[in-house]
Amino acid sequence: MSTIREGAAQVPAEKRPGVWTRTRRGRTALLYLLPSFILFGVFVFYPMFRTIYLSFFLTDQRGDAAVFVGLDNYRYLLESAAFLNSAKATILFVLYTVPAGVVIALFLALLANEKLKGIGFFRTVYSSTMGVSVAAASVVWLFMFHPSIGMFNRFLALFDIGQIQWLLDPDWALFSVAISTIWMNTGFSFLILLGGLQNIDEHLYESAKIDGAGYFYQLRRITLPMLSPTLFFIITISLINAFQSFGQIDILTKGGPAQSTNLIVYSIYREAFVNYQFGTASAQAVFLFLCILVVTILQFKFGERKVHYQ
Amino acid sequence: MKKWRFGLLVMAAFVMLVLAACTNSDPDAAPETDADADSQEEGEQQEAAVNEDGKVEIEFWHAMSGGGQESLDAIAEGFNESQDKYVVKPEFQGSYEELLTKLRSIGGTKDAPALMQVFEIGTKYMIDSGYIEPVQKFIDEDGYDLSQLEENILNYYSVDGELYSMPFNSSTPVLLYNKDAFREAGLDPEKAPETFADVIHASSQLKTDEMYGFSMLTYGWFFEELLATQGGLYVNEENGRAGNATEAVFNGPEGLNVFRFLDTMNKEGTFGNFGTNWDDIRAAFSSGKVAMYMDSSAGIANAIESSPFEVGAAYIPHADEVKRHGVIIGGASLWMSKGIADEEQQAAWEFMKYLTTPEIQAKWHLDTGYFAINPDAYEEDIVKEKWAEYPQFQVTVNQLQDTEPSVVTQGALISVFPESRQQIVTALENLYQGADPQQVLDEAVEGTNRAIEIANQTNQ
Repeated sequence: MSTIREGAAQVPAEKRPGVWTRTRRGRTALLYLLPSFILFGVFVFYPMFRTIYLSFFLTDQRGDAAVFVGLDNYRYLLESAAFLNSAKATILFVLYTVPAGVVIALFLALLANEKLKGIGFFRTVYSSTMGVSVAAASVVWLFMFHPSIGMFNRFLALFDIGQIQWLLDPDWALFSVAISTIWMNTGFSFLILLGGLQNIDEHLYESAKIDGAGYFYQLRRITLPMLSPTLFFIITISLINAFQSFGQIDILTKGGPAQSTNLIVYSIYREAFVNYQFGTASAQAVFLFLCILVVTILQFKFGERKVHYQ
Repeated sequence: MKKWRFGLLVMAAFVMLVLAACTNSDPDAAPETDADADSQEEGEQQEAAVNEDGKVEIEFWHAMSGGGQESLDAIAEGFNESQDKYVVKPEFQGSYEELLTKLRSIGGTKDAPALMQVFEIGTKYMIDSGYIEPVQKFIDEDGYDLSQLEENILNYYSVDGELYSMPFNSSTPVLLYNKDAFREAGLDPEKAPETFADVIHASSQLKTDEMYGFSMLTYGWFFEELLATQGGLYVNEENGRAGNATEAVFNGPEGLNVFRFLDTMNKEGTFGNFGTNWDDIRAAFSSGKVAMYMDSSAGIANAIESSPFEVGAAYIPHADEVKRHGVIIGGASLWMSKGIADEEQQAAWEFMKYLTTPEIQAKWHLDTGYFAINPDAYEEDIVKEKWAEYPQFQVTVNQLQDTEPSVVTQGALISVFPESRQQIVTALENLYQGADPQQVLDEAVEGTNRAIEIANQTNQ
């Protein structure tokens, strides 16, 4: 803190230091914070406030705010059957993908954590979906779901089971997209969870073994509690990812059939860049932001209590 | 302490650098935009982009992929070699929708391409945008003879007697059917079903365990066509041609006919739903999963080539109680930018003229299956040869030439067409799930009306 001392030395002893001098610390701190303020301001806060601003307007064909409508966009959304359907589809999608994705990744991570010969190969395979882009993976799945030449339907035909219109039947489409999403996300979750497992101290297991604890007892009392910070991280990230899924929807179903996979993010995209209604699109974006915010806050409030930090 | 602060400083400097890099990430684009700003301040007169050979160079944005792109590149090259003043550079910009999205953000600036291809339903948007120079101006100045072009195609792109854009790739819908399947079902393969009732009857006979009778891509365009061929309007104000449309009217008796027609077959189990993807429905046809389907005339060549059976082509069906009115032109046209240098506009105009010559149109027609907008192309030898081999091509040309010109077959003019088509897709999907035809149509009209209302409200 040499600067402060130097600064103090310059002030005559009988006078109280002026505002300029007294705020010196604060100003120094602000100077250091400035870069991140600028970055956040330009790339986060400005777009965010712009979105909120636009959500009170109807926009013209160029996307400029044209007619002020107050809260009408929000009112319209809450009354619109299409939007409520999007909200419902989004919630269902989150419920389909997050728990299943985390459980599968955890299962694979536990398997791959065993010290066996050649385990490196399996670890690579299990995490390999992380290296596949959403677009490429979606195209592959698109072919597997194909109504006439798809692998799944051919497989079903082998056993003489009726054909399923994977992506064309509104009852199946969301489920099909969820399956491919789980597949895409598993690699990342697996890798993080495996890292968490490797970090658990071996001695804990050794002492447990000496005490005669079985595998599942160890899993419940040592592995899961020690892994809980990682699990918490993965669940939070998976939730946010699920809320924001876009690429696979765009490629697999384009929000169809009969709007059954029109998740909020896709609905925002369509409203903004196909229909050029930036106003209603912004209102949806604000709504989605609030949803994610609430879910994340709830999670930190209730979920984090169970987390065991070392 | 000192060290720690130094670290922060370095970090701050780094952050600033990153920031600077972000704002200036495109070194090529930056100086150009500066130059633009300068030239715009100096005066109205724009400098034409001239390349090192002293030729005027213009960009041509298009949305043709695959075979269309190859053909278009070859045509542009031919143009560049045919004269020594202009160079046209074709640039693929993604689908029609994507191209229009890019155009929306760049339109009206000097970076906009001189020439761009916009799909038919973007017509109203382009006219309203103020970014474009109607080609009528050059037609008048140049004394270009429009009568050599196909009248039914010109009709679509003419508004108030003025031609705004040069038609280029035009297609119409056509009914394609599997002649072998017709024979097996005991139907006459040379006589395609003409009315809705005929199609319903034929598909019930064609239906087998493996094969559906009829299918249609879940796409608004086909609905518009089936509506128009019965003489039904899509929106009020004479399909938006007499004034700004304020309401959609496609839920009238003609629209209902179409939805009932599809609903009947869907309920009978003779209609196959292959979704919203062109490739899927085409694959279904050529792999024998459906006996009849509607395709674009631009898809005929491919259907014939990839199907192991004989393919028939016919006019699209119409409701039994009305006479056939004909089809609306689909596809795209070429638009010229406003606010660019005169020489660049001239280059764009010369290229348009080159494109509409019979020889080029003949090549384009055969390469892609799109119509020749210059009917003289059909007299070219290469076209005659191909037609003798594939008479299916001729069906589409006949269907277009039999079309009665009217506001119905001119097609609707609304700026919110993409949104409206989405409404139709949703309506069709709900219909296939067993919803009531009138109800889903009414919902689609309601959604379209809201879009029209907002567009009218914000564009005053």
